[in-house]
Amino acid sequence: MSFAERMLKIDRRIIFLVIGLCTLLPLLYPVGLPIKISSEVRGVYDHIESLPERSVFLLSIDFDPASKPELYPQAIALLRHAFRKNLRVIAMTLWVSGTGMADQLVTQVAKEMGKEYGKDYAFLGWSPGGQAVIINMGQNLYSAFPSDYSGKPTKDLPILDGVRNLKDVTYMVSLGAGRPGVEEWYVFGKDKYKFEMGGGCTGVMAPGLYPLLRSGQINGLIGGLRGAAEYESLIGQKGKAVAGMDAQSATHVAIIVLVIMCNVFYFSLRRTSQAQGQVG
Amino acid sequence: MIFLRRQLPLLITLITGLLFAGQYYVPHPASEQMLTSATKWLQIIGGFALILGVTSLFHQHAVKIKRQEAGWGYSLILYAGMLGTIAVGLWANGKESVNGAMTAFGWVYNFMMVPLQGTMFAILAFFIASAAYRSFRARSREAAVLLVAAVIVMMGRVPLGEYLIPLSGDVSSWILNVLNSSVRRAILIGVSLGAVALSLKIIFGVERSYLGGGKE
Repeated sequence: MSFAERMLKIDRRIIFLVIGLCTLLPLLYPVGLPIKISSEVRGVYDHIESLPERSVFLLSIDFDPASKPELYPQAIALLRHAFRKNLRVIAMTLWVSGTGMADQLVTQVAKEMGKEYGKDYAFLGWSPGGQAVIINMGQNLYSAFPSDYSGKPTKDLPILDGVRNLKDVTYMVSLGAGRPGVEEWYVFGKDKYKFEMGGGCTGVMAPGLYPLLRSGQINGLIGGLRGAAEYESLIGQKGKAVAGMDAQSATHVAIIVLVIMCNVFYFSLRRTSQAQGQVG
Repeated sequence: MIFLRRQLPLLITLITGLLFAGQYYVPHPASEQMLTSATKWLQIIGGFALILGVTSLFHQHAVKIKRQEAGWGYSLILYAGMLGTIAVGLWANGKESVNGAMTAFGWVYNFMMVPLQGTMFAILAFFIASAAYRSFRARSREAAVLLVAAVIVMMGRVPLGEYLIPLSGDVSSWILNVLNSSVRRAILIGVSLGAVALSLKIIFGVERSYLGGGKE
């Protein structure tokens, strides 16, 4: 077996080790390379920045713990920004398995920013039906969520004064890891009830949402850990996303090097076999 | 019986399909009220669908355990996990914490579900790297184009990539905004037109497979 053949059949545990080290070492010894801000992320930031105080900001936390590493930092950065701007924050989720995590997330950031439940923010929890919940909220928010996550009637929450349905929402961001997520919020929500909307998603989903972004159907997109790191940089509160960017950088470069290596060995093997074929 | 099995569902589909397609364009309060009621029904049906899903899962794994099929031990673990979670969930009234104190349901969520789901997602990076090494080869011109585009986007999406090749960020952004967007949009338009065509076929009773193939 030639060297190229041996390298192409390399034990996958070696690849696992390389990736493991590329993730671990930058986390232990961060480099802190500068992060360039993209226009997609700036779109969401600038819109929140332009909102007057006490505007209604709806955050739909449409993911579960599987996507926590990428979307949790996005949600934290967005909530910090919204609370800093004194917006009325209404949080909810369309993913039942993300309910507990979303509750902890909102409570944690609200506590950190000194916000009061019911007056400055509310967490509506989860309601069954997926996209039907969006339409129902567009028709009547109190019908979709008669009570909040803690069981208090939503009609008694001062934060919802003057909010009847999605038409009364000033800005909405869906942080989605799949369906229902950003696309459903646009199709069943924004299109009919005409509120301004931005999106956040995992890195692998981001390319699929670019058509919505380019056509102006969403005014910004926070994609993956990179998007979260950009948002953290914009609000000036660097957190887990910025810390994770070094690890992601090293992992991406490692995968690229592996792919190049595999192609070099593949072509060398192909050339050898072609040469042998000509001789034979 | 044929009327109940075939004609009535087709009639309901025809009427509701046309009614709600038209409803979108009628902003009258009565029309909006109808939509509010219908979406409430949909939410209730969604709740029942959840029960149906859980029941079906229980049934499927019960059969596996009963017949002691390969991997029936995993089904047993699934049963224990589901029943245990349902029991603690009901006990805690679905709350992860009460007055700041974590409930048993909260413990299951925070210390079992969150790390398990996180682990499943995290190990993907290792398998993707291994799969990329084994299969991402420029065997044809199309594969080569895909390979080059992937390398540029991967470089352009991380600070180290932009530091090593400063142009990679802009090129990556161009690929995503222009090439990717236009192709995705074409796919989206195709899929949407297909969905409209299928909806019309279902509404007018041309497509009937959703009725099932039971006895007439």
